[in-house]
Amino acid sequence: MSLDRQERISWLTGVPLFASCDKDTIERIADTTGELSFADGQAIVQQGQVGNGLYIVVSGAVRIVAGASELARLGPGDFFGELAVIDQQPRNATAYADGPTDCLALASWDLIALLERDSGLAMNLLRELARRLRRADAQLRH
Amino acid sequence: MNQAEILDALAGLALFSDLDRPQLEAVAHTMSEEAFPAGQRILRQGFSGSGFFVILDGEVSVRVDGSDVARLAKGDFFGEISLLLGEPPVADVVTLVPVKALQLAGPDLRAFLLAYPPVMYRMLQSVSRRLERANRRG
Repeated sequence: MSLDRQERISWLTGVPLFASCDKDTIERIADTTGELSFADGQAIVQQGQVGNGLYIVVSGAVRIVAGASELARLGPGDFFGELAVIDQQPRNATAYADGPTDCLALASWDLIALLERDSGLAMNLLRELARRLRRADAQLRH
Repeated sequence: MNQAEILDALAGLALFSDLDRPQLEAVAHTMSEEAFPAGQRILRQGFSGSGFFVILDGEVSVRVDGSDVARLAKGDFFGEISLLLGEPPVADVVTLVPVKALQLAGPDLRAFLLAYPPVMYRMLQSVSRRLERANRRG
Protein backbone atom coordinates (compact mmCIF):
# COMPACT_ATOMS: atom_id res chain seq x y z
CA MET A 1 0.00 0.00 0.00
CA SER A 2 1.17 3.47 -0.75
CA LEU A 3 -0.55 6.71 0.21
CA ASP A 4 -0.04 9.84 -1.85
CA ARG A 5 0.53 13.13 -0.02
CA GLN A 6 -3.14 14.09 0.00
CA GLU A 7 -4.24 10.65 1.26
CA ARG A 8 -1.59 10.77 3.93
CA ILE A 9 -2.78 14.21 5.08
CA SER A 10 -6.39 13.12 5.17
CA TRP A 11 -5.53 9.89 7.01
CA LEU A 12 -3.36 11.71 9.60
CA THR A 13 -6.21 14.13 10.28
CA GLY A 14 -8.22 11.23 11.67
CA VAL A 15 -5.50 9.96 14.04
CA PRO A 16 -6.51 10.76 17.65
CA LEU A 17 -2.93 11.69 18.65
CA PHE A 18 -3.02 14.52 16.10
CA ALA A 19 -6.58 15.65 16.83
CA SER A 20 -5.44 19.04 18.12
CA CYS A 21 -3.00 19.75 15.28
CA ASP A 22 -3.77 22.48 12.74
CA LYS A 23 -3.54 21.96 8.98
CA ASP A 24 0.06 23.23 8.75
CA THR A 25 1.22 20.81 11.40
CA ILE A 26 -0.59 17.86 9.79
CA GLU A 27 1.07 18.75 6.47
CA ARG A 28 4.44 18.92 8.18
CA ILE A 29 3.85 15.49 9.70
CA ALA A 30 2.76 14.13 6.30
CA ASP A 31 5.95 15.48 4.73
CA THR A 32 8.31 14.19 7.41
CA THR A 33 6.92 10.68 7.93
CA GLY A 34 8.00 7.73 5.85
CA GLU A 35 5.79 4.78 4.97
CA LEU A 36 7.14 1.35 5.86
CA SER A 37 5.74 -2.12 5.15
CA PHE A 38 6.36 -5.16 7.31
CA ALA A 39 5.71 -8.86 6.75
CA ASP A 40 3.79 -10.99 9.24
CA GLY A 41 5.98 -11.64 12.30
CA GLN A 42 8.65 -9.12 11.35
CA ALA A 43 10.13 -7.03 14.20
CA ILE A 44 9.46 -3.34 13.62
CA VAL A 45 11.46 -2.19 16.64
CA GLN A 46 13.59 -4.38 18.91
CA GLN A 47 13.84 -4.35 22.68
CA GLY A 48 17.26 -3.01 23.75
CA GLN A 49 17.86 -0.93 20.63
CA VAL A 50 18.19 2.82 20.59
CA GLY A 51 14.92 4.58 19.79
CA ASN A 52 14.93 6.13 16.33
CA GLY A 53 11.33 7.23 16.05
CA LEU A 54 7.60 6.97 16.57
CA TYR A 55 5.45 4.59 14.49
CA ILE A 56 1.77 4.95 13.65
CA VAL A 57 -0.10 1.88 12.43
CA VAL A 58 -1.79 2.60 9.09
CA SER A 59 -3.06 -0.90 8.34
CA GLY A 60 -2.61 -4.33 9.83
CA ALA A 61 -1.82 -4.94 13.50
CA VAL A 62 1.13 -4.83 15.89
CA ARG A 63 1.94 -6.86 18.99
CA ILE A 64 4.07 -5.15 21.68
CA VAL A 65 6.10 -7.74 23.59
CA ALA A 66 8.55 -7.29 26.48
CA GLY A 67 10.44 -10.45 27.42
CA ALA A 68 7.79 -13.16 27.52
CA SER A 69 4.77 -10.96 28.11
CA GLU A 70 2.56 -9.22 25.59
CA LEU A 71 1.95 -5.63 26.68
CA ALA A 72 -0.50 -4.51 24.01
CA ARG A 73 -2.07 -5.15 20.63
CA LEU A 74 -2.38 -2.15 18.37
CA GLY A 75 -4.37 -1.42 15.24
CA PRO A 76 -4.80 1.37 12.68
CA GLY A 77 -4.42 4.86 14.21
CA ASP A 78 -2.51 3.57 17.25
CA PHE A 79 1.11 4.60 17.83
CA PHE A 80 4.16 3.11 19.53
CA GLY A 81 7.88 3.73 19.95
CA GLU A 82 7.51 7.11 21.65
CA LEU A 83 8.98 6.17 25.05
CA ALA A 84 12.50 5.55 23.82
CA VAL A 85 12.42 8.85 21.95
CA ILE A 86 11.24 10.92 24.88
CA ASP A 87 13.51 9.59 27.58
CA GLN A 88 16.38 8.54 25.28
CA GLN A 89 16.66 5.08 26.78
CA PRO A 90 16.90 1.81 24.81
CA ARG A 91 13.58 0.34 23.61
CA ASN A 92 11.78 -1.45 26.44
CA ALA A 93 9.78 -3.75 24.17
CA THR A 94 9.75 -5.35 20.73
CA ALA A 95 6.98 -4.57 18.25
CA TYR A 96 6.02 -7.37 15.84
CA ALA A 97 3.84 -7.03 12.77
CA ASP A 98 0.79 -9.27 13.21
CA GLY A 99 -0.09 -9.98 9.59
CA PRO A 100 1.12 -7.70 6.79
CA THR A 101 1.36 -4.23 8.34
CA ASP A 102 2.01 -0.69 7.13
CA CYS A 103 3.23 2.07 9.40
CA LEU A 104 4.13 5.72 9.11
CA ALA A 105 7.41 6.43 10.88
CA LEU A 106 8.35 9.78 12.36
CA ALA A 107 12.06 10.22 13.18
CA SER A 108 13.02 11.11 16.77
CA TRP A 109 14.20 14.63 15.99
CA ASP A 110 11.04 15.34 13.98
CA LEU A 111 8.86 14.14 16.85
CA ILE A 112 10.77 16.26 19.37
CA ALA A 113 10.55 19.31 17.09
CA LEU A 114 6.80 18.75 16.71
CA LEU A 115 6.29 18.44 20.46
CA GLU A 116 8.22 21.66 21.04
CA ARG A 117 6.19 23.45 18.39
CA ASP A 118 2.71 22.15 19.21
CA SER A 119 1.88 22.02 22.92
CA GLY A 120 -1.60 20.65 22.12
CA LEU A 121 0.07 17.60 20.57
CA ALA A 122 2.35 17.27 23.62
CA MET A 123 -0.75 17.39 25.83
CA ASN A 124 -2.47 14.66 23.78
CA LEU A 125 0.63 12.47 24.01
CA LEU A 126 0.94 13.12 27.75
CA ARG A 127 -2.68 12.12 28.32
CA GLU A 128 -2.30 8.94 26.27
CA LEU A 129 0.84 7.97 28.22
CA ALA A 130 -0.99 8.72 31.49
CA ARG A 131 -3.78 6.37 30.33
CA ARG A 132 -1.26 3.64 29.46
CA LEU A 133 0.52 4.10 32.80
CA ARG A 134 -2.70 3.72 34.73
CA ARG A 135 -3.61 0.62 32.73
CA ALA A 136 -0.14 -0.91 33.29
CA ASP A 137 -0.32 -0.20 37.03
CA ALA A 138 -3.79 -1.75 37.25
CA GLN A 139 -2.58 -4.89 35.44
CA LEU A 140 0.33 -5.22 37.86
CA ARG A 141 -2.02 -5.29 40.79
CA HIS A 142 -4.33 -7.94 39.36
CA MET B 1 9.03 30.11 53.13
CA ASN B 2 9.21 33.59 51.67
CA GLN B 3 8.93 34.26 47.94
CA ALA B 4 12.72 34.29 47.39
CA GLU B 5 13.11 30.94 49.16
CA ILE B 6 10.31 29.42 47.09
CA LEU B 7 11.97 30.72 43.92
CA ASP B 8 15.30 29.17 44.89
CA ALA B 9 13.59 25.89 45.73
CA LEU B 10 11.74 25.87 42.39
CA ALA B 11 14.89 26.67 40.42
CA GLY B 12 16.53 23.54 41.84
CA LEU B 13 13.79 21.13 40.74
CA ALA B 14 14.15 19.13 37.52
CA LEU B 15 10.52 19.79 36.56
CA PHE B 16 11.21 23.52 36.32
CA SER B 17 14.87 23.47 35.33
CA ASP B 18 14.26 24.78 31.78
CA LEU B 19 12.45 27.91 32.95
CA ASP B 20 14.07 31.34 33.23
CA ARG B 21 13.75 33.59 36.27
CA PRO B 22 10.61 35.52 35.16
CA GLN B 23 8.88 32.22 34.35
CA LEU B 24 9.85 30.78 37.74
CA GLU B 25 8.39 33.88 39.38
CA ALA B 26 5.17 33.39 37.46
CA VAL B 27 5.06 29.71 38.49
CA ALA B 28 5.65 30.62 42.15
CA HIS B 29 2.82 33.10 41.84
CA THR B 30 0.44 30.60 40.20
CA MET B 31 0.99 27.77 42.68
CA SER B 32 0.14 28.01 46.36
CA GLU B 33 2.49 26.89 49.11
CA GLU B 34 1.01 24.32 51.46
CA ALA B 35 2.36 22.78 54.66
CA PHE B 36 1.14 19.37 55.85
CA PRO B 37 1.86 17.70 59.21
CA ALA B 38 3.21 14.14 59.37
CA GLY B 39 0.56 11.48 58.85
CA GLN B 40 -1.77 13.57 56.73
CA ARG B 41 -3.49 12.12 53.69
CA ILE B 42 -3.04 14.62 50.84
CA LEU B 43 -4.62 12.52 48.08
CA ARG B 44 -7.27 9.96 48.74
CA GLN B 45 -7.73 6.78 46.68
CA GLY B 46 -11.04 6.84 44.83
CA PHE B 47 -11.91 10.44 45.68
CA SER B 48 -11.61 13.09 43.04
CA GLY B 49 -11.37 16.84 43.42
CA SER B 50 -7.76 17.32 44.42
CA GLY B 51 -4.82 18.99 42.81
CA PHE B 52 -1.33 18.72 41.44
CA PHE B 53 1.45 18.80 44.04
CA VAL B 54 5.21 19.38 43.82
CA ILE B 55 7.16 18.45 46.94
CA LEU B 56 9.54 21.16 48.18
CA ASP B 57 10.54 19.43 51.40
CA GLY B 58 9.72 16.19 53.23
CA GLU B 59 8.64 12.72 52.15
CA VAL B 60 5.34 11.04 51.31
CA SER B 61 4.22 7.46 50.92
CA VAL B 62 2.09 6.37 47.95
CA ARG B 63 -0.29 3.66 49.17
CA VAL B 64 -2.60 1.44 47.22
CA ASP B 65 -5.18 -0.41 49.30
CA GLY B 66 -3.10 0.38 52.39
CA SER B 67 0.27 -0.92 51.15
CA ASP B 68 3.22 1.31 50.41
CA VAL B 69 4.06 1.19 46.68
CA ALA B 70 6.38 4.20 46.37
CA ARG B 71 8.07 7.01 48.29
CA LEU B 72 8.31 10.53 46.91
CA ALA B 73 10.52 13.37 48.13
CA LYS B 74 11.82 16.80 47.17
CA GLY B 75 11.31 17.56 43.48
CA ASP B 76 8.87 14.71 42.95
CA PHE B 77 5.28 15.46 42.03
CA PHE B 78 1.93 13.70 42.17
CA GLY B 79 -1.73 14.10 41.30
CA GLU B 80 -1.13 14.82 37.61
CA ILE B 81 -2.24 11.45 36.21
CA SER B 82 -5.73 11.70 37.75
CA LEU B 83 -6.09 15.29 36.61
CA LEU B 84 -4.96 14.54 33.06
CA LEU B 85 -7.44 11.68 32.80
CA GLY B 86 -10.24 13.28 34.78
CA GLU B 87 -10.37 10.22 37.01
CA PRO B 88 -10.07 9.81 40.81
CA PRO B 89 -6.62 8.96 42.25
CA VAL B 90 -5.83 5.23 42.41
CA ALA B 91 -3.63 5.68 45.48
CA ASP B 92 -3.49 7.48 48.80
CA VAL B 93 -0.62 9.92 49.26
CA VAL B 94 0.27 10.23 52.95
CA THR B 95 2.96 12.43 54.51
CA LEU B 96 5.65 10.52 56.45
CA VAL B 97 7.14 13.70 57.97
CA PRO B 98 6.03 17.34 57.83
CA VAL B 99 5.86 18.25 54.15
CA LYS B 100 6.04 21.52 52.25
CA ALA B 101 4.57 21.43 48.78
CA LEU B 102 3.35 23.68 46.03
CA GLN B 103 -0.18 23.03 44.92
CA LEU B 104 -1.99 23.83 41.72
CA ALA B 105 -5.78 23.51 41.70
CA GLY B 106 -6.90 20.58 39.54
CA PRO B 107 -8.75 22.57 36.86
CA ASP B 108 -5.66 24.77 36.30
CA LEU B 109 -3.18 22.01 35.37
CA ARG B 110 -4.01 21.82 31.68
CA ALA B 111 -3.66 25.58 31.11
CA PHE B 112 -0.51 25.59 33.24
CA LEU B 113 1.18 22.91 31.11
CA LEU B 114 0.13 24.59 27.86
CA ALA B 115 1.59 27.86 29.18
CA TYR B 116 4.92 26.20 30.07
CA PRO B 117 5.78 23.65 27.33
CA PRO B 118 9.19 22.82 28.88
CA VAL B 119 7.41 21.75 32.08
CA MET B 120 5.04 19.61 30.02
CA TYR B 121 8.02 18.01 28.27
CA ARG B 122 9.64 17.21 31.65
CA MET B 123 6.36 15.69 32.79
CA LEU B 124 6.18 13.68 29.56
CA GLN B 125 9.67 12.32 30.34
CA SER B 126 8.65 11.44 33.88
CA VAL B 127 5.48 9.61 32.76
CA SER B 128 7.51 7.80 30.06
CA ARG B 129 10.00 6.56 32.66
CA ARG B 130 7.25 5.39 34.98
CA LEU B 131 5.53 3.60 32.10
CA GLU B 132 8.79 1.86 31.16
CA ARG B 133 9.27 0.76 34.76
CA ALA B 134 5.68 -0.54 34.93
CA ASN B 135 6.18 -2.42 31.64
CA ARG B 136 9.40 -4.00 32.91
CA ARG B 137 7.68 -5.25 36.06
CA GLY B 138 4.73 -6.64 34.08
